Amino acid sequence: MSSLKIARRNIWRNKRRTLITAASVFFAVFFAVIMRSMQLGTYAEMIKSVVSAYTGHIQIHKTGYWEDKIINNTFRKNPKLEHEIAEIPGIKNIVPRLESFALASYGEQTKGSLLIGINPEKENLMTKLSDKLTSGKFLVNNDRGVLVSEKLAVFLKITIGDTLVLMGQGYHAATAAGKYPVKGIIHLNSPNLNNKIIYINLPTAQELYSAPDMLSSLSIIIDNSDNLEKIKEEITAKINTKNYEIMTWKEITPELNQAIQSDNVSGQFMLGILYMIVGFGILGTIVMMTAERKKEFGVMIAVGMKKTKLARIIFIETVLLGSVGIFFGFLFSLPVIFYFAKSPIPITGDAGKAYESFGFDPVIAFSTHPHFMISQVLVVLCIVIIAYIYPFNSILKTDPVKSMRN
Amino acid sequence: MKYSKIIFFFGTFLFLFNTSFSQDAKEIITKADKKFRGNSAKSVMTMTIVRPTWKRTLKFKTWGKGSDYSLALITYPAKEKGQTFLKRKNEMWTWNPKISRLIKMPPSLMSQGWMGSDYTNDDILKESSIVNDYTHKIIGSEKINGVDCWKIQLTPKEDAVVIWGKLIKWISKDEYNQMKSEYYDEDDYLVKTDISSNVKLMGGKKIPTHIEIIPADKPNHKTVVDINLIIFDIPINDNFFTQQNMKRIQ
Repeated sequence: MSSLKIARRNIWRNKRRTLITAASVFFAVFFAVIMRSMQLGTYAEMIKSVVSAYTGHIQIHKTGYWEDKIINNTFRKNPKLEHEIAEIPGIKNIVPRLESFALASYGEQTKGSLLIGINPEKENLMTKLSDKLTSGKFLVNNDRGVLVSEKLAVFLKITIGDTLVLMGQGYHAATAAGKYPVKGIIHLNSPNLNNKIIYINLPTAQELYSAPDMLSSLSIIIDNSDNLEKIKEEITAKINTKNYEIMTWKEITPELNQAIQSDNVSGQFMLGILYMIVGFGILGTIVMMTAERKKEFGVMIAVGMKKTKLARIIFIETVLLGSVGIFFGFLFSLPVIFYFAKSPIPITGDAGKAYESFGFDPVIAFSTHPHFMISQVLVVLCIVIIAYIYPFNSILKTDPVKSMRN
Repeated sequence: MKYSKIIFFFGTFLFLFNTSFSQDAKEIITKADKKFRGNSAKSVMTMTIVRPTWKRTLKFKTWGKGSDYSLALITYPAKEKGQTFLKRKNEMWTWNPKISRLIKMPPSLMSQGWMGSDYTNDDILKESSIVNDYTHKIIGSEKINGVDCWKIQLTPKEDAVVIWGKLIKWISKDEYNQMKSEYYDEDDYLVKTDISSNVKLMGGKKIPTHIEIIPADKPNHKTVVDINLIIFDIPINDNFFTQQNMKRIQ
């Protein structure tokens, strides 16, 4: 009890020294939290844009579909299965699709395209597809129109109201061919998709491919992407994995997952450099403090204070100072990250376009996940405690006579 | 002197024997090819595509003249009805009434199965002739489905445009029917086998009416063609095989 009192008095005794030490901790926490928030927020935003734009968090296919994406590798719509999956807590949306290759033709032009049969309402809930319309109207249930991606429409020289011819191979070697009016033109961020995608109503696609009730995938959106693996396991437990394959977005778009992982490593490396800088800052102030108080330590030991007790007092001082710095650093970083989490920083110009071309929203987003904030706080606290090794060592080695003479 | 005469005589005999033997092989193939094609023919066929997990049946009518012209019209199933395919020399066209489109089959589609079967578009075009583009040799005599056959090996001539490394055909001795064919690639691997059976009198000729095409590398895949009706040597004008007629024919 008395150690704490002495420590507190020591802190108050030299306010300037206290302020400098606490400030170095403050900035360490402040920057570490903001930097990590920015990194994690940006990854989360990338995942969110890719997942919600197309893949979903989890997809269910007929076993073998991912290896060979042909129309014969589709499965029959199964309301019981969908119902069972929908019952799993944390599942937000289940979106059925039938996708296959088709030749799109208008006038003299023909081009290979990816035809996606959708349920317009469900698809719109997930991908907000209707926001991507640049002209025309969105599909409604049971209309026979198609939505053509912008670049494909330019290539085919087709506009709204024209009749698009689609040809391909249907289910079980049937011939797929049909004429469909263009109802709308959509702009998709990814240039790769923007020149090949055509959306059509699911029943119309099933009719075209002679594949009534068949689906190539169920895309699932979940509430919290942290539960991805857990929900995948729950789905796996419920369905027959012999007939269906279940894939997470990490398996569906491994390139995105790897990009995030490699960027995360460099992000952590940057964070490591930041820790080193602030670590040496904190160490510097503590070394200064120790040198300044060398005489004081010598006197204390000379009048009979045990070295261990002195070391304990200095430890309490350091932790108190550190805690104050951490508390304020954390407190001050919160409004910053919450503000930017609400209104992310837009990336403009070429960098923004590059982001868009990968299918990401061109923004620097911030994460407000409590998990990483706590870990940043703990890391800085550790740095403070490591820095304490110096005064601890110095106290144990103090020779009272020598230090008083200096 | 006398000795050399004997050798000469024997040599000539051997030479004659040899040529007459290989002449035989070519003759057999020529007769078989002629019989198979006829001068012109009209037929009704049923084709069943068999896959490990599914099966599908198509019916179609065909008209053919020599090796240059043929026309096929799908009559079943209802969804595919009215599609026509035209072959003129080495070009192939397809017409789909649903989209009112006439499409020329690009070379890239040639190795694809016709209507999803194991019968490739290239098989239909048959740019190469089994008579002129190959050298022929009888390599044996075997029974196929109880029918006595010559076993003949066909090796492509050096300058021939042929996709196969070699062919082995079994031609029936009595009727010159092609009872079985094996197709090998350049590395001597078997690619596919055709087996014919059910020889019947049809259109005035005794011909096999059941043909199975079995790709070698895909287990449980095959295509079965049954000839329901065939009429040989009907008079057909060359203008029958036109793009206009593709759209009209019923």
